[in-house]
Amino acid sequence: MTDYVDAGRAVDQAKLTTVVGNAPPVAEAVTYERILNARNEPQNWLTYYGAYDGQRYSPLDQINTENVKRLAPAWVFQCGSAGLSAGATTYAFEAAPIIVDGIMYVTGWDGWVWALDAKTGQELWRHRHAIPFDVSLCCGNVNRGVAVARGKIFFVTQNAHVVALDATTGKSVWDKTYGDVRDGESATLAPLIVKDLVIVGSSGGEFGVRGHLDAFNLETGEHVWRCYMVPKPGEPGSDTWPADGQAWARGGANCWITGTFDPETNLLYWGTGNPAPDFDGEVRPGDNLFTDSLVAVDVDSGQIRWHYQYNPHDVWDYDSISEHILFELDGRKVMAHFDKNGYGYILDRTNGELIRAFPFVDRIDWGEVTPDGQVTPKNYPDAEGVPVHFWPGPAGGKEWTHAAYSPKTGLLYVPIQDVGATATRRRREFKEGIPYWGAGVQVDGDDMAGYVSAFDPATGGEVWRWRNDTPMCASVLATGGDLVFTGEPTGEFNAYDARTGELLWQFSCGSGHHSSPTTYSVDGRQYIAVPSGWGGWIEGFAPGMLGAPHGAALLVFALPQ
Amino acid sequence: MATPAAERSALMSELGLDHQNKGAIGRLLASGQIGQAEEGADGAMRATVRIPPDELTWEPSVLVLPHSGRLDLEIINDDLNTHCALLPSNGDFQFLWLVNHSRGTATLELDGPGYYWYGSPTGNDEGRGLTGAIVVMGDAPPEARLDRPQQPRP
Repeated sequence: MTDYVDAGRAVDQAKLTTVVGNAPPVAEAVTYERILNARNEPQNWLTYYGAYDGQRYSPLDQINTENVKRLAPAWVFQCGSAGLSAGATTYAFEAAPIIVDGIMYVTGWDGWVWALDAKTGQELWRHRHAIPFDVSLCCGNVNRGVAVARGKIFFVTQNAHVVALDATTGKSVWDKTYGDVRDGESATLAPLIVKDLVIVGSSGGEFGVRGHLDAFNLETGEHVWRCYMVPKPGEPGSDTWPADGQAWARGGANCWITGTFDPETNLLYWGTGNPAPDFDGEVRPGDNLFTDSLVAVDVDSGQIRWHYQYNPHDVWDYDSISEHILFELDGRKVMAHFDKNGYGYILDRTNGELIRAFPFVDRIDWGEVTPDGQVTPKNYPDAEGVPVHFWPGPAGGKEWTHAAYSPKTGLLYVPIQDVGATATRRRREFKEGIPYWGAGVQVDGDDMAGYVSAFDPATGGEVWRWRNDTPMCASVLATGGDLVFTGEPTGEFNAYDARTGELLWQFSCGSGHHSSPTTYSVDGRQYIAVPSGWGGWIEGFAPGMLGAPHGAALLVFALPQ
Repeated sequence: MATPAAERSALMSELGLDHQNKGAIGRLLASGQIGQAEEGADGAMRATVRIPPDELTWEPSVLVLPHSGRLDLEIINDDLNTHCALLPSNGDFQFLWLVNHSRGTATLELDGPGYYWYGSPTGNDEGRGLTGAIVVMGDAPPEARLDRPQQPRP
């Protein structure tokens, strides 16, 4: 009999590092009231968009148009990967780093969450939820960040769990499943904390699921409500689906990007995704509510109060998931939304009334939206087997990556993708867990452009444009230093003059940007943080960049001391 | 030319794809045996995987769990070389050094359904064949499933 050496017990991989193992208890004091007033503590970035209004604006002004040319790396966090992971070729570093009193919390792909010293980059703790290799992912192994409240860190996993961690140790406190991976559901968004709720949405719109928004009690993980975005027969909106058959049951409308919230209306403003099948509208005649819509959801009850549908009966994959930015315009409570369909919208956020619609990308030929919102489809996949080319392509004139609004300049800043695509309708039978597009799709790889543009919400007019040879596919950050930051697919991280669009500073990060930069300060020093790691649905928004280098770095910049 | 499933393992062996330095340089991943974990009265699951001498594979190379939850895993290195194990588990990877003729344990927490790869991340053990799969059967809990009629599956 073999006399074996005792190898002992396996240990956490983190024990084989210099990871500290714990973080200061700064998250304990993060309450709903603090998140409500997040902009009053600009040293922090307390929630996904920086504040409930989705403006992605920070009043911090230490870094400004005069000195930004001196901006330099302060530290870099490299996260790499180990072993075989789901979507190994499509992972992307898409998060928005959250900062609370000098501690940064950020997610990576494949179940990673880290707590870092925001001043030095030292890893304080790590957590990795094990993600099945065979999980269904439409567009890449990605995650967009955490939420923080009452001593806990909340994040979702690619296999549709929502998990609460102890913010000091990174250990799991509760873990709930809110989607069915056998149906093709997954989860990728950053949770939103409102009152005592953790609010999360589902991904999986390319698999013929039924999109939903869920709320959990942040202390206990108890499920509080679920709001389906496709009505069952007999429910309001069900008359926009075929009366016979089960198109509604596979209808899509996933909520895969974080919404915004107005405490005065008590409404969540959440964008919904495409109907399914994406391009074969003949199997789902009707407007297909509440796909491609803004839905205003009562945060306490989870009930839809009203909606505005941007793309009735979408056959271009024009999700309307991207942010609704809340601000005041001539004393009116409004919101701005830049849709995949290439049009920007200003709406009254108390009732969903459209104030104006305006084009924000040069090439639009799928159809037309008039300033008062009348939609006329012109160019779309219809006949079986017939290729149809249209602009913008299915990734949209702007995809999920976020615009910003500066209350200082009164301008909206938008990352824009000017790319077309050809879709050929190919009907297929629905099968659970199998992609359900209803077309073959090829996005233009050799005719692409992009720009960052500033728009005046009062007119819809473009105030300035910075043009690029590749689509701009990263979120924009606006600051009180009259700066606008965003990254390029080729790796450059840029700072622009918020009033003129002049490129003032640039740093090559080595891998493309498809994330949401944030800003904060520690001990009076302002930092800009940006994850750099090119990936995701590149074949959708920039197929000409499919071969660009992957990356796995979080870069943080500051002025030299 | 496609091969009927029943002939697959025989052809794998004939071509030397399930051996070291025969057909290819290493051994195809998960070309070893399939094993199933045992479930204890407490609901925890137990299994043993071994590294046979000079085969650079886990046996079984596919370990099947009946459902999500805790797996108490015994890992035995019968090989004449040093390896290690990097295993998936909720919270963090679990790491175990496995010198020649050693035996250790790991406790894993895994969701289901789905499957996970694990391996020996030293040299290119992972590429030579020391990458195994843990398959977790089962379904999402009822409260997480979609409210819709039963749908067809492939």
